[in-house]
Amino acid sequence: MLTAAVYLLGAGAALATLLMLFQRNPVKAAMLMLAALLCTAGIYLALSAQLLAALQVIVYAGAIMTLFIVAVTVTPQAWRDRPAPGRISRVLGLAAAAVILIELMKVSAGLKLVALGAGFTETGTLGIAKQLFGRFIFQFELLGLVLLASIVAAAALALKRRTNP
Amino acid sequence: MNAYPLAAISFLLFALAAAGFLTCGNLVRMLMFLELMLNAANIAMVALGPQPASQAYALMLFAVAAAEAGVGLALIIALASTFRTLEAENIKELKG
Repeated sequence: MLTAAVYLLGAGAALATLLMLFQRNPVKAAMLMLAALLCTAGIYLALSAQLLAALQVIVYAGAIMTLFIVAVTVTPQAWRDRPAPGRISRVLGLAAAAVILIELMKVSAGLKLVALGAGFTETGTLGIAKQLFGRFIFQFELLGLVLLASIVAAAALALKRRTNP
Repeated sequence: MNAYPLAAISFLLFALAAAGFLTCGNLVRMLMFLELMLNAANIAMVALGPQPASQAYALMLFAVAAAEAGVGLALIIALASTFRTLEAENIKELKG
């Protein structure tokens, strides 16, 4: 049951990403991305990562998607109809992605022998918090600096634009 | 459940997002595909890693993705107002 759910949601996410490739309307592309992100949240839930599933909906499907929609709305350039990119660059891009996929599949062939624990379990937030404030405390604190730097950078960019249009 | 199909799902999502990133020229769309690539890497980590530790790391990656989206979109909006285009091909100078 859980395996089928993972396959179904994975196929849904892959289909949404594939449709995004051919979607010219930026808002429709953003909605397809939202579908892919929600499918991913479902995969997390099936993999017994309940907190991550909730955070995926809140952070990715909520905050990040809102940012994208705002960016699409405030940049009219995104709506302008434009010629399709060159055929050669498109073919090269697809070929590079196919090579990446084939190589990744080849490298991870050893995983065929690995079996994961079956069944739905509960992963409590206490276990994750113990990891975050124990083993990964340095990375976690460093992440605070990364977020601060990104906030300052975004504010600086926006202020510069406002004072010097 | 075998680990290989789970890895294959995340690799497929990663490759599709990489294809989108490499083929489209619009900056907002490229950032969208970049987020999807990060998302695919997150799936692989949660599916294949040791359980509480991989989830803690995935949680940190969420914050990195949010920071990346914020700064990336601020940059894109600044670029759009300067160059009046969102096509990566048309942005050829970096001098501010």
